[in-house]
Amino acid sequence: MVFNSLTFVVFFACVLALHALPLPWTTKKINLLIASYLFYAAWNPPFVILLWVSTVIDWYAAQGLVKARRPATRHAWMLLSVIANLGMLGYFKYGQFLLDNFTTLMSVIGVAYHPAHYDIVLPVGISFYTFATMSYTLDVYLRRAAPAQNLLDYALFVTFFPHLVAGPIMRPTELVPQFAQPRRASGEQLRFGLALMTLGLFNKIVLADSFLASAAERVYDSDKIPGALDAWAGTLAFSGQIFCDFAGYSTTAIGAALCLGFAMPDNFRFPYAAVGFSDFWRRWHITLSSWLRDYLYIPLGGNRHGARRAYAALMTTMLLGGLWHGANWTFVAWGGLHGVYLAVERALRARFANYRPGPLVFVALGLLTYTLVNVTWVFFRAKTFGKAWSVLRGMFGQNAAAKPILATFNLLSVAAIVGGILLTHWLMRARTLESVIARAPALALSMIWALMAFAIVIAQGAGNAFIYFQF
Amino acid sequence: MHSSTSSSDARHDAADEYLRQSAPDRYARQTAADRPGVAQPVPVRPVPVQPWGRILLGAVLLLALLVTGWEEYWRAYGVRPSITNNFGLWAIQRRRIDAGEGDATVLAGASRLYFDMQLHVWERMAGRRPIQLSFEGTSPLAAVEDLAADPQFTGRLLIAVEPDLFFSGYEYRGGAIRYARKESPSQRTGQWLSMHLIEPYLAFDDPDYSLQTVLARQRWPARPGLHSFTRVRKLAETEADRNSHLWDKVDIDPKYRALARSIWAEEFVPSDDDPSPAEAMKSEKEQIERSAKAVARLRARGVKVLFVRMPSTGPFLEFEDRMHPRARSWDALLSATRAPGIHFEDYPELQGYNLPEWSHLARADAERFTAALYRIIERDFWGLKTVASAVQSNAEPAR
Repeated sequence: MVFNSLTFVVFFACVLALHALPLPWTTKKINLLIASYLFYAAWNPPFVILLWVSTVIDWYAAQGLVKARRPATRHAWMLLSVIANLGMLGYFKYGQFLLDNFTTLMSVIGVAYHPAHYDIVLPVGISFYTFATMSYTLDVYLRRAAPAQNLLDYALFVTFFPHLVAGPIMRPTELVPQFAQPRRASGEQLRFGLALMTLGLFNKIVLADSFLASAAERVYDSDKIPGALDAWAGTLAFSGQIFCDFAGYSTTAIGAALCLGFAMPDNFRFPYAAVGFSDFWRRWHITLSSWLRDYLYIPLGGNRHGARRAYAALMTTMLLGGLWHGANWTFVAWGGLHGVYLAVERALRARFANYRPGPLVFVALGLLTYTLVNVTWVFFRAKTFGKAWSVLRGMFGQNAAAKPILATFNLLSVAAIVGGILLTHWLMRARTLESVIARAPALALSMIWALMAFAIVIAQGAGNAFIYFQF
Repeated sequence: MHSSTSSSDARHDAADEYLRQSAPDRYARQTAADRPGVAQPVPVRPVPVQPWGRILLGAVLLLALLVTGWEEYWRAYGVRPSITNNFGLWAIQRRRIDAGEGDATVLAGASRLYFDMQLHVWERMAGRRPIQLSFEGTSPLAAVEDLAADPQFTGRLLIAVEPDLFFSGYEYRGGAIRYARKESPSQRTGQWLSMHLIEPYLAFDDPDYSLQTVLARQRWPARPGLHSFTRVRKLAETEADRNSHLWDKVDIDPKYRALARSIWAEEFVPSDDDPSPAEAMKSEKEQIERSAKAVARLRARGVKVLFVRMPSTGPFLEFEDRMHPRARSWDALLSATRAPGIHFEDYPELQGYNLPEWSHLARADAERFTAALYRIIERDFWGLKTVASAVQSNAEPAR
């Protein structure tokens, strides 16, 4: 079920009530586990089996890793986990993509290959829980973490509903220890958790779905060729939409976990105030970028084997990171562009190691970063390269004869919301949300909380799925 | 991929450090981005020091005040709580066919069949309530094809032809069939909760009064070169089984009626987006071919199919006659499908009703119209017995 649904409101109220009952801790954990399976089954019940498969394989792989005496045996257990998880991901997420590309390749060399129809439904959030379970086995393999003490704690780590389908991608060392001792939210945690959930849902339902999505859709999902204003407005709208959608989900998830007494890591840190792309990736989808760094970039050699190897590792990581987002070459292009940006930045840092920008240049570099990030969003949002080129040509003023697409209201809402997001990110770039809240007058917090909740109520969200569910 | 694995980020750390010093942050904490290649510890999730109990209480009170005010505002405007006509509601009715009502009478059309057919009147006369599968602004052909492909449907099908939608294949609310097939348990539960806990009590819970819709329809300056149609305003009230009727406000409020008419009138003016005459004729032909295939499939299974051209009047009727002349559209449809049809212009008892905005019948007239249409269907086509006539025939002595 999605967070922005009535079903979730009732579900969460029941979970909170159950968790508050004076029951033994193990019973409460079993309740949370069952609730999490229900949460997932509410999309498509049979896919719970995938969760079980993933859970059981990694549980036994980690046990095997601990008991193994020989390095080869340890290696084999680790490979079993990786192959099983990536195999499942590959089958459900990339099966059609691989088949389509194979068919295209065959036709290029003159072979007319007509595969049988491959109608596979993508299980929601499979990329997220696959990465979470893999990090468990890999951490044990890398001797960074001890295996969980019991299957219940481990299964709950994989399945815990706040992070299950769209992150933040949890590591076992972040969550499993929290299941060791009884946890129940204090009154302050419960109320602050609810406030975070309201903030997250406001971002999703009001800003992303009600105001920004339609502008992006009109530009990206129509056959019309966009001029400069529409191309930029549509792309900026998407930059705001994807942030509000995904950061909104993470904030709601963090709030939901906090209401139950659990802590989840930050996933976003005002990314549109990033200066440079390494800074951007320290702020955007932090749990994914650090996962890719720890389990892909560093094992590929990282920066320990010279510049050439580091660049190769960087590009490989970003290309695969792009593919993780979706089975389409446009996502690979998105990842590739970010890889190029990071590589260029790395080269510039090496060349101008002692350069320190003044305040104006600092802000200008930040705006340049945001502009270039927007260029990458074109490939992320466009369903085809043809559409991406059309929007890019518009952004660079090459569609002079284009007719207007967006109405004045769309343009104004995009300008106001995206402008507001940018300003907020710059004001908050070195601060935390908590520090700002701590300094605000209580009355103002009440009013802001009520206004956000009111906007959620009157926006009448249609329960649209979060963008990242498809990944 | 961030650079904490690379040498340093010293360049802009200086600026960050300046900001940190100017506003020291006691809640500052590291993230996984700051800890490369190590086991990540249990996250820190501090709660800002504030009187959260009072803040929550204040927020709840203010929220209650705002929601009450918003509700009162729309009630004063004339809005009453009504069930939202969405895909979930449609899916409930569509599932009735799979759940043992495959022999039922199904209504498939656009807004005219949806608003103008009163299910309780039909039920009173036939003894059984039909299944309403019409959707406003949407050609019914996809629904008809869906029924044609469903062997469980063996009943009767009344298909309404609203020329501009039917012969163009336009679907303002396309996607209901796919939704009904893929509806998740969560969506079903949400639909039930909304229908029972929210929609019967809150007038403002209507897509026409959502925040974005209300803001978008304010008088924003027009963008030069952009031709856009005004979005159709709320026209109907819907019940849980999709029985629907024209909203009284359209009938009794002259200003609102004029607004509704002016929105339709925008469509009567030629625009660049209109199809060329050749394209329009091609589309008509395609829709008629689709209809013929679907009807043949239905009739092969014994389903009785009947087309009906619902009433329209004034400039709307003129527009429809101009765009889709009867001989080229309605007559061609009946000829291609070899199915019977009722055109309101052919029956005096289907004329002379009150259509406040030229396209839909006023509520009281919809009741009379439903009864009149039912009688024609019973008499000339399906031989259905009205409950009243059944009672009468049972009471009569055998001859």
